[in-house]
Amino acid sequence: MNVEDVLSSRLRMKILKILMQVGELNVSKIARRLGANYTTTDKHLKVLEDEGMIKRKLFGRIRLYRLNESSPKTQAVQNLITVWEHANKQHTTNSW
Amino acid sequence: MAPYPSVFKDETKLDISYVPYKLPHRDRELRLLMEFFGFLLRVPDKMTQRIIITGDVGTGKTVLSQRFGANVIREANRQGINLRYIHVNCREYRGSLFLIVHHVVSIFHPNFPRRGYSAEELLNILLQILDDQKTHIILTLDEFESLVERENSEAVYKLTRLQEIRLNKPQRISLICILRNLKVIEKLDASTRSTLQSNIIHLKRYLKQQLVDILNNRVLVAFKHLTVPEDTVSLTAELAFSENGNARFGIELLWRAGKYADAENSGMVTPECVRKAASSIYAVTRKSDLASLRIHEKMFLLGIARFFEQCEKAYASLTETEQAYAVVCEEFDVQPHSHTQLWKYLRTLSALGIVKTEVSGTGSRGRSTIISLPRVSAYELEKELSLLLQKEKP
Repeated sequence: MNVEDVLSSRLRMKILKILMQVGELNVSKIARRLGANYTTTDKHLKVLEDEGMIKRKLFGRIRLYRLNESSPKTQAVQNLITVWEHANKQHTTNSW
Repeated sequence: MAPYPSVFKDETKLDISYVPYKLPHRDRELRLLMEFFGFLLRVPDKMTQRIIITGDVGTGKTVLSQRFGANVIREANRQGINLRYIHVNCREYRGSLFLIVHHVVSIFHPNFPRRGYSAEELLNILLQILDDQKTHIILTLDEFESLVERENSEAVYKLTRLQEIRLNKPQRISLICILRNLKVIEKLDASTRSTLQSNIIHLKRYLKQQLVDILNNRVLVAFKHLTVPEDTVSLTAELAFSENGNARFGIELLWRAGKYADAENSGMVTPECVRKAASSIYAVTRKSDLASLRIHEKMFLLGIARFFEQCEKAYASLTETEQAYAVVCEEFDVQPHSHTQLWKYLRTLSALGIVKTEVSGTGSRGRSTIISLPRVSAYELEKELSLLLQKEKP
């Protein structure tokens, strides 16, 4: 998929941010944090997994997702999010 | 007057969670544990171990296991073996196998969901995780009684047998079960019992001198130099010994006594601090017991209380207390009773648990009676007796 197709989704960006923060989560908990339903969350997780940006680990019926740290795409998005949030903080401090 | 600095050097060394590097009088058991688990460092995949540690409260079951855990992990790391020591208090997890195993799983996967599977599935998941990470664990189940009480045989059986039925797979989980009394194990069915009861380490109650050694070790690391006299340690050990040789009780008492010393800015943990600390833990000597004493018994006890209040010693001889009693008699303008009579009073006071008497070992001058006030503050006792005697004054 093209970059704009993958990253244009608000929910997919949020999933990446959540996994950056907490490390590892199952589908239900990701859905709860997104405020989305299970099916929608699952669909977005599949897109990110197909792109190799996240990894899935199966424990019986439990699926745990985490960022695929070795993927250059994931690293690029992690950098983007870090820089973006840092700039946002600076902007807030300066405007005071 | 400038306040004294705290008597503590590092009071965390008296905390229940502190695991000392050396465990006085438990070296044999520690070595035994290392022997039992020696194979884990040689052929970690081939077999697992199950150990039961029993003993009364304060006999060092938990600390022994934790010290062993730290030692074995250090050795495993040195040899490049993936081994983890996990200590779980079953009571904290209400004796639920599911919650206990979930806790273990969440050490490897902190956000592992809590719902949607059974304890048995979770045990399989744990084994899968351990296989993935090529790790072995020594799982210590402290207060094992609560697991047995809640889950009975089946859960314990699963815990011990599940990995054995995995064909051609490495063994991953070794168990240390800590409990006070082996009778609990009798509640389990025969096959479960047989999986557990192979190696038992029983910890005997500490003797008084052993408690002195333990307390001295803690004093060295927790208190500033020369702030805890020998008498204080001896009295604390005495009290811990009377509490079934409970070392934990003694350590906590020492900490509390240190707090009293700090509160009073005395710069020294005196035996009186220990007595005050003890009376804050125990039910203080009942006032009705004191009121029911005869007048000379009260005066004798008042003499004993004043002696301890003034001299900051933990023990007194019968002669010393007789002299203190004579002063009280003078104050109340009465004739003191004889030595034999006082000896009888001492027996009454001892039977009531207000004083403690002990016959000292034979020295150059023969045997003598040693008196201590183990459970009540001399100051409080003096106050109460003075009040009672004032009321009875002719």
